[in-house]
Amino acid sequence: MLSRIEAKAAGSKGPARRLRLTDFDLTLPALGLLVLFFVVPVAILLARSVSEPVPGLGNYAELLGSSTYLRIFANTFLVSGLVTFVSLLIGFPVAWALAVMPSRAASVVFAILLLSMWTNLLARTYAWMVLLQRTGVVNKLLIGLGLIDKPLPLVNNLTGVTIGMTYIMLPFIILPLYGVIRKIDPAILQAAALCGANRWQALVRVLLPLAMPGMAAGALMVFVMSLGYFVTPALLGGTANMMLAELIAQFVQSLVNWGMGGAAALVLLVVTLALYAVQLRFFGTDRMGGR
Amino acid sequence: MSQPFLQIRGIRKEYGPVTAVHDVSLDVAQGEFLTFLGPSGSGKSTTLYILAGFEDPTRGDIMLKGQSLLSTPSHKRNIGMVFQRYTLFPHLSVGENIAFPLKVRRLAKAEIDAKVRDMLKLVRLEGFEDRKPAQMSGGQQQRVALARALAYDPPLLLMDEPLSALDKKLREEIQHEIRRIHQQTEVTILYVTHDQEEALRLSDRIAVFSKGVIDQIGTGPELYANPATRFVAEFIGDSDFLPCDLVTAANGKAEIALAGTTLIPNVPVHGKPVAGGKAALMLRPERLHLMRSAPGGSTALPVTVSDVTFLGNNIHVATQTAKGDALAIRLPFGHEAISSLSRGDSVWLGFDPASAHVFC
Repeated sequence: MLSRIEAKAAGSKGPARRLRLTDFDLTLPALGLLVLFFVVPVAILLARSVSEPVPGLGNYAELLGSSTYLRIFANTFLVSGLVTFVSLLIGFPVAWALAVMPSRAASVVFAILLLSMWTNLLARTYAWMVLLQRTGVVNKLLIGLGLIDKPLPLVNNLTGVTIGMTYIMLPFIILPLYGVIRKIDPAILQAAALCGANRWQALVRVLLPLAMPGMAAGALMVFVMSLGYFVTPALLGGTANMMLAELIAQFVQSLVNWGMGGAAALVLLVVTLALYAVQLRFFGTDRMGGR
Repeated sequence: MSQPFLQIRGIRKEYGPVTAVHDVSLDVAQGEFLTFLGPSGSGKSTTLYILAGFEDPTRGDIMLKGQSLLSTPSHKRNIGMVFQRYTLFPHLSVGENIAFPLKVRRLAKAEIDAKVRDMLKLVRLEGFEDRKPAQMSGGQQQRVALARALAYDPPLLLMDEPLSALDKKLREEIQHEIRRIHQQTEVTILYVTHDQEEALRLSDRIAVFSKGVIDQIGTGPELYANPATRFVAEFIGDSDFLPCDLVTAANGKAEIALAGTTLIPNVPVHGKPVAGGKAALMLRPERLHLMRSAPGGSTALPVTVSDVTFLGNNIHVATQTAKGDALAIRLPFGHEAISSLSRGDSVWLGFDPASAHVFC
C-alpha cells in the first residue's frame, strides 16, 4: 500500500501538476477569448484611428479640438452623471427596502426587477416613448390632475434620455447595493440608535459609509455603461444632445469614417479604464477589512 | 423610601398567538447588578429589548426614575447596551467608535477627546485608539463596545449575553473586568445570560426566567438555598430529583415517603402540596454525605455506586437507588472513602431533611 502511494508521488507528479493548473492554466481559454475578440479588434481600431485617412494623430486633434465634438463629450458625461445620480437616489431606498423586507415580498420585487431587465431593450425604450410623448399617459395624467396646463416636453430631450436610461440602469445599482446592505448586521444599526443617533445620523454616519463599496461598484457600472449607451439616447434623445455612442455610429455607418470612429471609441475606452483605476484605488478588494 | 430606580410593571409581549413575556414585574435599585437568567426562549432577551426600545410591549409599562420610557424612541432613551454580536462600527477606529455617541450629541471636541481617553483607560485598552475593530480580538471588541456604551454616562446599561461568543477562559477574564467596571462606575446593569455560573459570579440579584415568567428573584445564595420552583433548583447549582409520595404537608414543611417505606419528616415543600399526591425530592450532590453502613438515627438512602469520576478538586460519584433513580454525590479530593470506593459497592447517602426540598 505504502509503496504504491510512493510510486504515484514519485512517478506522475500528479498532485503538484494539478495545483499549478488551478493557478493560471484555467484562465487560458477566457484569456484567449479576450485577446481574440477584444484586444485584437481594439488594436485594429487603434491602428485605423492613427492611419486613416492619413497617418498621424489628426483624428484625435479634430475630435478634441472641435467645439461640436467637445459638446458631445460634455453631453455624454452630463447624461451619464445624471443617470448615475438619479439611479443612486432611487436605488438606495429600494435596495434597503429589499434587504429588510420579508423574503417572500423581496422575491416578488426581485422578479419584477429581473423581468424588466430581461425584457427586450428596444421594446422598453419604445414603451417610454409612448408614455412620455406629448399626448402620452404621463402628460395626460398630469393635465388631468390639474398640475400642468400644457404638455411637458418629456421626450426628444435630456429629460427623456435621463428617465429612460435611469430605468434601464436601476437594477445595476440595486443588485450590488442589496448585496452590501444585506451583509450589514441590523444590530449595528440598533447599537447606533441606542448610542443616540437619530435616523438621519444613523443613515449618514453608519449606513451610507458601510454601503459605500456597493454604491461605488454600482455607480461605476452605471456610469461606464451610460457612457457608451446607444439605443436609449438615440430613441429618446433629441438631435441637440447627441451622445458619444451615437457619434461613433454616425462616423462608422453614415460617414464610413473608421479613423474618426476609432478615435472616439478609444477616447471612451481610456476614460472607462481611468475610472476603473480610480475605483480600484479607493474601493479595492481589501478595503472592507479595515487594513 | 423613595420610588425604585427602575420599575418594570406587568410587561407582556405577544407575537400573534405566542406570548413571549407573561406580565413580568420587577423593581431594580440604583447601582444594582441584576441578571436575567434563563434558557433561550424564556423571554429574558425580549424583556431587555423592550427596555432598549427595539420592541414595544403588548401591555405594561417601564418607569425609569418615575418617568415612563415607552413613548421615548431608542435614540432618546440615553441607555447603554452591549450586544451579543460584535456591533462596533467597522468603518470607524476604536477611538471613533467610543466618540460616536458623543459626536451625535454634539459635544465639544476637547470634551470628546478627554472622555474617549477616560473610557479607554476604564476598559484598559489605552493605545488601541487607532485600531480598526477587525484588527482586534472578540474580547477586545466587546470591551470597546462596553466603553462606547458607557461613554455618555447612561443611568442604565443593558448587556445581552455579551460574552457568549468568547471561550471560557476569556469569558472569566472579562467577567472580572465587568465587575470591576460596575464597582468603579456604579452604573445600574441589567445583564442577560443563560450561564448560571456567569450570573452567580456577576450579579447582586438574579431573576430566573422560565417560559416568559420570572420564577424567582433573589441573590445567588438565596436561589441556591431556597429555590421556589423545580426549574430554579435545576438551573442554579446541580441537583437530582427522586420521585416520592407526599404524606402530610403543613406550614411549608412536608412529610414524605421515599421508595414506599422510608418516612422523612420536616422537608421544606414548594408548589401546591396535596396529601397523598406525587412529589419530587431534590438533593444536591455536595450536600450529601457518604456512609459505609446503615446509619443510626440520621436520614439516609441505600444506593449502589455506578461510577466514580475524578474532576480535579472534587470527585463525582454516580449512584443508583434501589428503584433505579440516579443520585450523584460530590466528595472533596482526599475524602477517606475514595481510595476504597469502587463500582457496585453498596453505600448509604445521608442528608439533612432541612437542606432538601420537595416540589409538587
